[in-house]
Amino acid sequence: MAIAVRRWRTWLWVLPAVGLLLIFVYYPVVDNVRLSFFSWDAFDPTPTFVGVDNYVAAAEDPVFWRSLFNNTAYAVVSLIFQVGLAMVLAALLEEFVGRRLRGPLRTLYFIPAAMSITVVGILFSFIYNPEFGLLNRALEAVGLGQFAVAWLGQESTAIWAIIAMSQWQSIGYCAVLFVVAMQRVPREYYEAATVDGAGPIRSFFAVTVPMVREMTTLLVILTISGAFLVFNEVMVMTAGGPNNSSQVLGTWLYRQAFFEDDMGYAATVATVILVITFTIAALQMWVTQRRRVEA
Amino acid sequence: MNRKPKHMLAALVGGAALMAVAACGGGGGAAPKAGSQPELSAPPTKAGTLTMVTKFADPKYAPYFEGVVKDYEAANPQVKIQLDQVADQPYKDKIRVLSASKQLPDIYFSWAGDFANKFVRAGLAADLTSVVGPTTEWGKTLAPAALKAFEYDGKNYGVPIDLDGKYMAYNKTIFEKAGVTVPKTLPELLTACDKLKSAGVQPIALGNQFGWPAIHYITQLNAYNVPPATLASDYNPATGQFTDPGYVKALQQFSDINTKCGTPNANGISHEAAQANFMSGKAAMQYVESVEFNAFTEKGGASPTFAKSWDFFRLPPPDSPAGDPKALTGAPDGFLVNAKSQNTALAVDFLMFMTNKDNASKMTKELGWLSPVQGSATPENSFPQLTKTLEDMNQASQFAIWLDTVTHADVASAYLAGVEGMLGGKLTPEQVVQAVQKAAQKAQK
Repeated sequence: MAIAVRRWRTWLWVLPAVGLLLIFVYYPVVDNVRLSFFSWDAFDPTPTFVGVDNYVAAAEDPVFWRSLFNNTAYAVVSLIFQVGLAMVLAALLEEFVGRRLRGPLRTLYFIPAAMSITVVGILFSFIYNPEFGLLNRALEAVGLGQFAVAWLGQESTAIWAIIAMSQWQSIGYCAVLFVVAMQRVPREYYEAATVDGAGPIRSFFAVTVPMVREMTTLLVILTISGAFLVFNEVMVMTAGGPNNSSQVLGTWLYRQAFFEDDMGYAATVATVILVITFTIAALQMWVTQRRRVEA
Repeated sequence: MNRKPKHMLAALVGGAALMAVAACGGGGGAAPKAGSQPELSAPPTKAGTLTMVTKFADPKYAPYFEGVVKDYEAANPQVKIQLDQVADQPYKDKIRVLSASKQLPDIYFSWAGDFANKFVRAGLAADLTSVVGPTTEWGKTLAPAALKAFEYDGKNYGVPIDLDGKYMAYNKTIFEKAGVTVPKTLPELLTACDKLKSAGVQPIALGNQFGWPAIHYITQLNAYNVPPATLASDYNPATGQFTDPGYVKALQQFSDINTKCGTPNANGISHEAAQANFMSGKAAMQYVESVEFNAFTEKGGASPTFAKSWDFFRLPPPDSPAGDPKALTGAPDGFLVNAKSQNTALAVDFLMFMTNKDNASKMTKELGWLSPVQGSATPENSFPQLTKTLEDMNQASQFAIWLDTVTHADVASAYLAGVEGMLGGKLTPEQVVQAVQKAAQKAQK
């Protein structure tokens, strides 16, 4: 009897949050999947059922595949820089930088992450400007003038320029998170490694990397899902151009919904994003569940 | 007992229940009332709340509209107008969100062409022929070409509030220094560009970052190279074919213009950055809209030297054009009234107020825009180039409406992306037209 009452009370406390989640997260997600089987114009009073036509159209759409490629490239580069390089940066900050410099340097690295993405996007549009932008001027000044191209105006460089900007913004954020994780690593491990004759690099790989595993997992999930959900950076800098070469799934879905009036197709792209991010997160959780770090 | 299956079962049931609820919510929309003509004649007592959305959030333009709203509210104390102003680029998204969520305001901005026709086809635009048609008192005060741009199936749906034409603005001082005269044909323009290049100046400043500046060139070149009847039929989403060879010719001509007069980096520069180049004397010409002319005047913020040394001409036609050599790229902007609004009569009354001669002259004076209201532009309230623009517009045989709003969104998209690809050297004119033809077929469905 007492257990039953306790169960009721538990439900009562949890209900509001669950309710909010259901209404604002799960219902829209499910409705979106339903909508992807319809063809719906923003100006049409009723949607028409078309089965899997939207998915077939997506499979045949070259821009859809280009967007998928761009998102994947985004994820791969972000993993290398925002997880790999940030970890190295954090280790450097913790091990080699003197106490006085540590605080200011951390702040300096973190500032880009605190800036609004839209502001950063516009800022970098100026930096990348082919005529008076900082980047091209700097390249010309050091004699690398032949690399001074229209970074955002060429199909081959547009998305990479945006990805580079995104790394600049997020490395500091990930580094600070890694610093927090590294500060929890007990000193004894490092001392033991030194006693066994390990140099700084060896102890980094043998002690630091395994001990920050949980933070790594978290950041990998965040980075990959962030890469597949990217929207602002691309929208502000190129709006997906030129010639749809820098489209990502988010901007392509936005364009389909609000410029080409094809809400059903947009819902299809959204469902694809959902499936990808969900699968990756689930995989990640499953792989690391077996290897928890005991504090 | 193993807990997992129970939770999974609960999750599955929950998911199915959600789907069912979603299906119920989505499927049952009440069909709109058919055939009811909204009440348009002026109400005896003007009272109520009007909602309005415009695309003029730019601080150069916003105060004028806020002023008109305030004046109307002062004259009619029982009326409240909720004015929402958005910027140009985001307006295209906002209006679709409002339409799809059935929250369209009473009065909303629209470009002319298929953009406005979409709203008419969806039953969201009130038929205003009885109040603003060419034979009505109000309609007679407006320029006929402007009214015609918002006509669909012989009925008038939009109230035009400004006139906008696309012209090539040029720096007279640079032209003189390089020994160049105003070109009358396209080959003459290309020769002029060669002369300007050897004089060390960028001939045309072109910044195509969001795709529409190049599209405006194509709008004009299509009108020059394709016979008018074919053009009209192709722009109609129900009959679009785009098989006329003039379309490829137009793209090729633009490619030539960009090679000889423009820059290979056009896709990476914004229109505003290119304009800065033009206004600082680094470029000799820029293809701009007449609503931008105000920025070239001293009052609009230009340097006194520049303000004194600019003029404009139409983009010259090619030799022996197959289309209409007198067509002018441009269109009026206007407002539509929501057919489902409760306040259609009040909305019409407000629009009549906005387009009376006083407010129209005020617009020309404050914003430097041309109004379709006849007699609103005088030497007192407009600068010399503006008066010259109005004269030139009166000589245009018809408006060639912007390519990205005149036709179906899929075709517009194919053109936007294709021309960007052509400028970047990745696509040929033939490939662009093929993509356009494919989009036109998809739009026919």
